[in-house]
Amino acid sequence: MSPKLVKSILFFFLGILVVYAQEEKSHFNEAINKQIRQYKDLKLLNATKEFYLQKEWDSVLIYSLRQLNEKTSKKEVFDFCNLFRGISFKEKGLLKEAENSFKLISEDFIFNDNINFILAEIYLIQGQSDKALRRYLKIEEINNIEERPEINKINIHHSIGICYLKLRKYNEAEKYLLPTLKELEVIGDTLTLISANINTANLYYYQYRDEEAIPYFEKSYALAQRINDFDKKRKVAKNMAVVEENRGNYKASIKYIKEYDKWKDSLNNQNKIWEVAQFEKRFAIAQKQQEVNVLKAENRAKLAERNGLMFSAGILFLLLLTVTYFYREKLKTNKVITNQNQQLDELNATKDKLFSIVSHDLRSSVNSLKLSNKKLLKNLEKENISVVFDLLKQNSNTVGRAYNLLDNLLNWALLQTKQSYFEIKENHLFHVVEHVVYNYQSIIKEKDLLFKNGVSKHDRVFADQESLKIILRNLLDNAIKFSQPGDSISIYSRDVTTKYIEIIIEDTGLGIDEETRKTLEEIKNISVQERKHKNIEGSGLGLQLCKSMIVKNKGKFSIESEVGKGTKMIIFLPKTPNNE
Amino acid sequence: MNKVNVLVIEDNPIEKESLIEVLEDNDYNIIGTADNFKDALSIYLNNKDIDLLIVDIFLGEHPEGILFAETINQLDQTKKPFLFLTSSVDKELFQRAKATMPFNYMVKPFNEYELLFSIQLALEKFYDQKDVFTSEEEDTIVSNEYLYIQKGRSLKKVLISEIIYIEVEGRYCNIITEKGKFVILISLTKILKLLNAKIFKRVSRNFVVNTQKIEEIFPNDQLIVLTGNYKITLSEKYKSTIDKSIFLK
Repeated sequence: MSPKLVKSILFFFLGILVVYAQEEKSHFNEAINKQIRQYKDLKLLNATKEFYLQKEWDSVLIYSLRQLNEKTSKKEVFDFCNLFRGISFKEKGLLKEAENSFKLISEDFIFNDNINFILAEIYLIQGQSDKALRRYLKIEEINNIEERPEINKINIHHSIGICYLKLRKYNEAEKYLLPTLKELEVIGDTLTLISANINTANLYYYQYRDEEAIPYFEKSYALAQRINDFDKKRKVAKNMAVVEENRGNYKASIKYIKEYDKWKDSLNNQNKIWEVAQFEKRFAIAQKQQEVNVLKAENRAKLAERNGLMFSAGILFLLLLTVTYFYREKLKTNKVITNQNQQLDELNATKDKLFSIVSHDLRSSVNSLKLSNKKLLKNLEKENISVVFDLLKQNSNTVGRAYNLLDNLLNWALLQTKQSYFEIKENHLFHVVEHVVYNYQSIIKEKDLLFKNGVSKHDRVFADQESLKIILRNLLDNAIKFSQPGDSISIYSRDVTTKYIEIIIEDTGLGIDEETRKTLEEIKNISVQERKHKNIEGSGLGLQLCKSMIVKNKGKFSIESEVGKGTKMIIFLPKTPNNE
Repeated sequence: MNKVNVLVIEDNPIEKESLIEVLEDNDYNIIGTADNFKDALSIYLNNKDIDLLIVDIFLGEHPEGILFAETINQLDQTKKPFLFLTSSVDKELFQRAKATMPFNYMVKPFNEYELLFSIQLALEKFYDQKDVFTSEEEDTIVSNEYLYIQKGRSLKKVLISEIIYIEVEGRYCNIITEKGKFVILISLTKILKLLNAKIFKRVSRNFVVNTQKIEEIFPNDQLIVLTGNYKITLSEKYKSTIDKSIFLK
């Protein structure tokens, strides 16, 4: 027997087994599915099962290992895991590992028969035919084998036949192979049938019963023509070539060898095509992957860009807020500064005014006193008493005026600097008028004027007492100043509106023209021009002070006048403390 | 009728002099003068019969007048009305002065009229009897001890314990004391409210008697005899109140 032939036969065992295993798998899987349903809540086990059904062996190994590490696992779960692991190892070609996993499974596991079957298969592949045979025989002994769809009796017999064949127990082998062949012919499974034919042929060929063997080879060759499996075609062709060669029929042998080469090429071609396709696929995948990477990178870049934009927008916004804040602060400060400037200007104007009055009016008063004092001394020396008396009276008038002026100046300054005490409270108007008039009684008498206080004793006004007195004093002073002997002055009140009491200071004196009246009424602050204009008749400070103080007392002021007939100065003062 | 006693606390001699002159011209009695805090306090503590104080805010360089007011406000002694004088209208100083609750203040220079009016206003405020001197309807303020009566621009006082009886005539009241007879402008209801009700009893529609001056009562004749042999009719309507108080006596 040539070594080639042996090699060729050995080669066939694998082919047979692969076909055989695929046939029963669905039944087996169904059975597993059924059993595993009771462990629904074990997620890892279920995941392992799903991966097993999808033939993702690596995942099966990982998940089953995790399930095994779960300490609470039941024995059966443990067995399932090892089952899945064993099958996975076997599918990955790690036969030794597969064997180890299967051996860990407990004796009473429901799928022990199937495991025996798979183990037998492993032993067969590994060439340990005796071990394989033992397992197969064990399976064959199972009583109710007809009711187990996942175990194919024909295949078992076929496998046992192969085992005997490999162990060179030709008689036993023949006992199993021939019935198998017959049964397979009934079923019509071409692929298995080819294998069975080859195996039977080999059986006889090993025993040098060439005449019996050759028809089986030829049958297998004939069957192979009907299928598209290049590998099978190649194998049967090679078998035929060897057979013809051994018969000395070299011509036929060459023909078969050629055919063998053809199928080999086809197989190679197919492999190449498949490889090219695989390569192309890999290339396409790589390209796609690259595109994906590029897109990812772009996305990352965009994201980074967007984040950058957001960030800078945020910063800009903050910057804007800060700038706005500081700008507003600056505006506020500017406003304050402007106000302060304005106040300073006003105060400056006041100061100028004060200086001009001091320098002019006060100076002239003091000067006249000085001169008058000299005169007094002279007249005293001459003991000219009546002149002295007149001079003294004159002097006291001058001093009175100067005092009033000084007082007004002081009050004006205090009003401007807001340093004076100011308290709005109820005042008896009649008495306040009386108090003010008291100081003027001598002058009124001297100037031969008629005076009448016609204020009602029931009238009360809300004002600061001191400023009210200053107002009345100045207006009375004016009235006296612009009256001639024989004129009359009267102060009286009118209570006709809901908000105000009117206080009228009326004289029958010189009166003022409309233009002056308007300027007097309208001036708000003392200006340089006005001051010059006013110097003719007085400082104008008194009236100005009055107006400011009336405003401060929340009152109003107006003037009615006619040249030659007299003047009415009208003060409106609030009746209630909170007169808005 | 007695003069009203005024304590003048003022350091400027000229101003003090003019002040005293005005007050004396108007029948006030100057019970004392002081020009510093210490003297002012000792006079104040040693005189029980002060009716009014006139206090200058500035005694020397410092606002000792305010200090004085703050001090007497702390004392347990019966409070008296006081009146501030000042030549300054400084805001802060005024705030401090105001915190001592003066009953009036006057800014210098002031005239006679202002001074006399301010004194009257200070008393009105102190005894919380508004619009008495400033109106024409009334002229008398009633304190625990005295009746302060307006006489022209001045004031007089009458010791309430010296009143024998009061006779009402319309808006007027005749006050009969051991020393004389005065007419004041005050309503009967008001004076009854202000006088001590345990001592002054109404005996008829127009008469109020000081029960401490009752000498004898003749219920049958409906007659009360008072000190100075004044005989007042006791009307039936008010008899019961008088009986009780007499028994108490």
